[in-house]
Amino acid sequence: MPLSKDELLKAYRMMKTIREFEERLHVEFATGEIPGFVHLYAGEEASATGFCMHLDDRDKIASNHRGHGHSIGKGCDVDAMMAEIYGRGNGLCGGKGGSMHIADLSKGMMGANGIVGGGSPLACGAALAAKQLGTGGVAISFFGDGASNQGTSMESLNLASVWNLPCIFVVENNGYAEATSSKYSVACDDAADRASAFNMPGVVVDGHDFFAVYEAAGEAVKRAREGKGPTLIECKLNRYYGHFEGDAQTYRGKDEVKNLRATIDCLDRFRAKVTSADLLSEAELDVIDGEVAALIDGSVEKAKAAPMPAPAELLTDVYISY
Amino acid sequence: MSLDDHAPSIGVLANPAAGRDIRRLVAQASVFPIAEKRNMITRLFSSLGMLGVGTVYMMSDGNGIADRIRHALETPPPSDQIWPKVVFLDMPIEDRAVDTLVAAEKMVAHGVGGIIVLGGDGTHRLVASRAGDVPITALSTGTNNVFPAMREASIAGLAAGLVATGQVPVGDCAVRNKVLRVDVNGVESDLALVDLCTSTELWIGSRALWRAEGLDQLFLSFAEADAIGLSSIGGLIRPVTRAAEGGLWLNLADPASAPIIVTAPLAPGLMIDIGVEAVQDLRPGEAISLRAERGVVALDGEREIEFSQTDKLAVRLEWDGPLTLDISKVMTYAAEHELLHRVNAN
Repeated sequence: MPLSKDELLKAYRMMKTIREFEERLHVEFATGEIPGFVHLYAGEEASATGFCMHLDDRDKIASNHRGHGHSIGKGCDVDAMMAEIYGRGNGLCGGKGGSMHIADLSKGMMGANGIVGGGSPLACGAALAAKQLGTGGVAISFFGDGASNQGTSMESLNLASVWNLPCIFVVENNGYAEATSSKYSVACDDAADRASAFNMPGVVVDGHDFFAVYEAAGEAVKRAREGKGPTLIECKLNRYYGHFEGDAQTYRGKDEVKNLRATIDCLDRFRAKVTSADLLSEAELDVIDGEVAALIDGSVEKAKAAPMPAPAELLTDVYISY
Repeated sequence: MSLDDHAPSIGVLANPAAGRDIRRLVAQASVFPIAEKRNMITRLFSSLGMLGVGTVYMMSDGNGIADRIRHALETPPPSDQIWPKVVFLDMPIEDRAVDTLVAAEKMVAHGVGGIIVLGGDGTHRLVASRAGDVPITALSTGTNNVFPAMREASIAGLAAGLVATGQVPVGDCAVRNKVLRVDVNGVESDLALVDLCTSTELWIGSRALWRAEGLDQLFLSFAEADAIGLSSIGGLIRPVTRAAEGGLWLNLADPASAPIIVTAPLAPGLMIDIGVEAVQDLRPGEAISLRAERGVVALDGEREIEFSQTDKLAVRLEWDGPLTLDISKVMTYAAEHELLHRVNAN
């Protein structure tokens, strides 16, 4: 599954955009200007990117509370996302969703989700629609090790298998369900082990390695598009920040994150691999770094300058009539 | 009741990660749950304790086997059984292959009389690189396994225990294995026990090799016709036994133009046509330079080494691989020497 130079550049830009978006939010949230909670995806970029690189307009994704990376991967506008997180009227959801309910149906991004385990039933619905309509589309649910224990996740795995849906379940196991270690709280050894109980393949991949994720994701998407049914993929990865911004992280080891950043960072690994293989140059990647930095600077600046929703907008977009 | 601390010891090394890779998605490879590995290990304890093995050293891990064994040890063993003392090695846990290397080194340093390995070809490859002349008892729990066999753990435990306690002489029942060593830029880099394959794929990625596209050269220490995985390509053309002096070396090619096409079971449930351009004997000690300019080297079926145009790689077959116990020979020796049966004097 060789990647063209353009695809490699796209993958790097996607990962870098997610990283810069999250690093900047970490700084900005501390100023108190951002309402609500934010849960940062920094460190996990290879997962969203490895999967979303295989998706197109036919496909839909369901995300979780840590949804910025998935949103950027699926093509949501970065300026509109930042404005949404700042609660501005020009945000992706009119400023009413914020970080945890950010969505853009026009991009196939069905929403971050404040309900742990809430995304997988939505993905099943989208996959069922794709199957019934014959679009060739697939649906992906991104969820964590904590959500992997939820009843909704089990029900969705079951339904997807019974109906042979083009649905992919991605467990982003970052080792902690909020503050509880997955080694304690997940009764099986790997969340992927649960797949066999639902008659579908389940595999574990290194979620810090874009190329490992991309390869496994490609096979799962191909399987789904060919009508062969659902797949469960567990990405073993780490988050660089707390469960939420403000989390003191007393449950993590001293220097744990520092060591992770120094040894297995997905962006560093990507850069090292593509430059040593002579596929991309440091200069080409540096250009992307500069462009992404400017993009994020601009998005924050614009978000801060944008007006809040007017009081008259209080009830618009909240309810929908079918 | 516990056994004497000075009684012989054994290492038990179970890889928690074996049996989880992408071959469950691209093929129909089986899942080998940790719960079953735990069961196998406790069956080993039963056999080892009965034979007088005093201590079992185990790898510490973060993925559940150690915890499950600790839990098993908290409950009394089945009636009339004495289990060995179990010591979890004091070691950093990284949940990566390096844990297996460190654990094997520490077991050897503790002077174990054998190491029982639960894993696939990959796990055995890692242990082999550190075991020296400590005999390995090889038990399969992985995917495309050729080196270790699927054996009942109780019997493997008996065999390993009989040798570790000196009741069966190791020289009579252990065999030396061949090994494929790869040099990168003149420096010995790594080894494979069964197969070493180059591919023009650029990345280690999800590790396993299961596509015909890109396979370039294949080196085999032995090749059995009834094997699964890459070694079946050679095994279905020119079988080579584990005991044979040499190995095989194949140049692979596009099946559309290759003179030989082998339909090889590259993974469970995955039969693929592989084109073979040439098959040659691989003589011990002979260094063969790899022809690909860039790509990856897969060791025992898993991509491990990425290389580029500036790297020079060479492969050698050597007879300095690990010692493995022939379980059937040990048990036959035990029967012939009345080690496990006695006349009832009543």
